[in-house]
Amino acid sequence: MAEPVEFYEPRTIAEAVAVLASVPDACCLAGGQTLVAGMNMGPLFRPPALVSLQRIDELKGITQRPDGTVVVGAMVTHRTVAQSELFGGGLEVVREAAGCIAHPAIRTMGTIGGSICHADPAADYPAVLIATDATVVVTGPSGIREIPAAEFFVDFMTTSIEPDELVTAITFPPAPADAVSVYEKFTRASGDFATVSVALALSLRHGRCESVRIALGSCGPTPVRAAAAEQRLVQTSLDESDVQDAGRILCDAAAPMDDVRGTADYKLMLIPRLLGRTIQRAQERAVAWRVE
Amino acid sequence: MTINARTTLTSFVVNGDPQEVSVTGAQTLLNVLREDLHLTGTKCGCNQGICGACTVLCDGMPIRACLALAMVVDGRDILTVEGGKTDPVLSVVQQAFVETGAVQCGFCTSGMIMSATALLMRKPSPDRQEIREELSGNLCRCTGYAKILDAVALAASRLPIQESAT
Repeated sequence: MAEPVEFYEPRTIAEAVAVLASVPDACCLAGGQTLVAGMNMGPLFRPPALVSLQRIDELKGITQRPDGTVVVGAMVTHRTVAQSELFGGGLEVVREAAGCIAHPAIRTMGTIGGSICHADPAADYPAVLIATDATVVVTGPSGIREIPAAEFFVDFMTTSIEPDELVTAITFPPAPADAVSVYEKFTRASGDFATVSVALALSLRHGRCESVRIALGSCGPTPVRAAAAEQRLVQTSLDESDVQDAGRILCDAAAPMDDVRGTADYKLMLIPRLLGRTIQRAQERAVAWRVE
Repeated sequence: MTINARTTLTSFVVNGDPQEVSVTGAQTLLNVLREDLHLTGTKCGCNQGICGACTVLCDGMPIRACLALAMVVDGRDILTVEGGKTDPVLSVVQQAFVETGAVQCGFCTSGMIMSATALLMRKPSPDRQEIREELSGNLCRCTGYAKILDAVALAASRLPIQESAT
């Protein structure tokens, strides 16, 4: 029989932070879709105390501010994000990524806060947060801080939050009105983690690229972004040679590892192909959007 | 707030019946269903959320019973494969699986049936692709899936056509 685990069920963010500050090695339980799987593997993965965030209503909503910023509570499930109408245009990539995380039953319980705190570089949200220039909102004993996504993911399965801090929300800034975005994921089988993924947000005017942000998932310990690759695409009409050059620059910036989903060499072959597919789909979306 | 609870009385509804069970913090819903309530229709395949054999419905939505701690489902409404008497959609799906021959070794069957039930509750007339997507998280090593898809399509054809809200 399993070792007993202390179980806390705070009702407010303040209560949760108080527990994290006072109970040594307490571990937040969000949707549990990774943590409970780990606990099921045996004592190696079993924290002495769990702080369930399930009953904290403050963490559960998606709202849009007047300036268009979308604020997603940490406990919002992948299923809810995948069905939300607040993610369109430059933020459609968020909804698209949420809809391809694992399988339907996992998406019922898995949450955005849990996923990003786990910081698995093969997961879907990390690259999306980078591509959309999102901010992670964190509450700790000394108050609230806002961490740009690029500073949140610091290493393989490692974030910049402290053990007594709690992720409360993710804010997605409004994209330009004409922006489109796409998430493209290559997997061995439906529902798997990405072998390589590309999150892209793009603004086109008369077929020319006004601005672009690209982030790669599963291509290093943290999501990979290469400013030089984006610069290569800006003010071009995204012709084949432009996309090929950008793909080469991204490959130089990427540091994929050999793993069960593919060798590093294989992933480097995937990057330019997925980038091309992503940009093509973004262009199609931009056309469809104008026609509507 | 529940504090320092190593063991807690958790109450939830299973297949229409209120249940109260003493659970520990690391105990999963799957473990409670099988070991405490002796509802062994829900199977433990991988215990990692991969295979889908333990899929049950929680407030009408599919979840992995192996990845839901029992304390987390306190107050919720759980439907398992044993709930055919209380849920008309589930009953129709079960009958369709029997008639279609969608069962071989049977280990994946209860999870398949629950995933299909979740789909048909939301969307009584799904197309083939929607059925495939909804069942994508349920692995079957025997059937090749064809008869399972046929069974869900048969069940759908027997349900009233009106679409529900979500």
